[in-house]
Amino acid sequence: MKLLRHVGGKFELALAPEEKGLLLYLLNLYPLVPASYHRLTKDKKLPQREENQQLLDEALAAQREQNKKAILTFVNEPGRFTEADGASTVACTRGELEWLLQVVNDVRVGSWLAMGSPGYETKKKVRPDKDALRHAMFMELAGAFEMFFLGIVNGDVTPENEE
Amino acid sequence: MSATAFPEVLPGIKPDHQTGSASEHEAGYVVICWDDPVNLMHYVTHVFQVVFGWERKRAEKHMLEVHHDGKSVLTRESLEKAEFYVHQLQKYTLNATLERAGK
Repeated sequence: MKLLRHVGGKFELALAPEEKGLLLYLLNLYPLVPASYHRLTKDKKLPQREENQQLLDEALAAQREQNKKAILTFVNEPGRFTEADGASTVACTRGELEWLLQVVNDVRVGSWLAMGSPGYETKKKVRPDKDALRHAMFMELAGAFEMFFLGIVNGDVTPENEE
Repeated sequence: MSATAFPEVLPGIKPDHQTGSASEHEAGYVVICWDDPVNLMHYVTHVFQVVFGWERKRAEKHMLEVHHDGKSVLTRESLEKAEFYVHQLQKYTLNATLERAGK
């Protein structure tokens, strides 16, 4: 993965065919975090707790639907990916990269949850079966894409072709 | 949290000087981010910068509190505003809740 240039408010990224395939695969996994994962509060006596939890659930569900639509658009939009010299080029705005970060991190956290949340409160170990290995791989891949996108939005990655 | 390097700056983000003070808002709720072993430190810092408009240093301070102390109180607000911030943080899949202040 490379940042080719930053021009006209868009970041132009180059992905090898395998990287593009992996990114699209991860995007198609979205959403992986169960709808019931997020809790508004730990306080069981919070006034109107249930109503407010429901409002949060609805807001997050609407967000998930919006993200799913945006993924379909991103993946299928004509001209979004251009192929040349054995690599794919894709142009993204800062806002799109922010959105990609949210989506890819959902896949990362969802994969971790699917493995049984290893390292969190319970000391249980991950069973090294096929499913766990698959989710471990998704989690690591999502992390790699996250670091790449973060590097771009934070200005840590220098474009190869400055204009 | 998983360890990563820190970003130097986050361009294009305006600092929000309104967060963090109870007296400014008559606020009875705190927004807390809880530690987990999956969200990358670099990512958590970024999300704090985006959601609260904080400069990197302040975002990092809170991220390190989460990492070392298990949680960080990010802001103290009215219920409505605290709910807004919890939603924003959870949109990014951070482990955030609101609690009554002083608990």
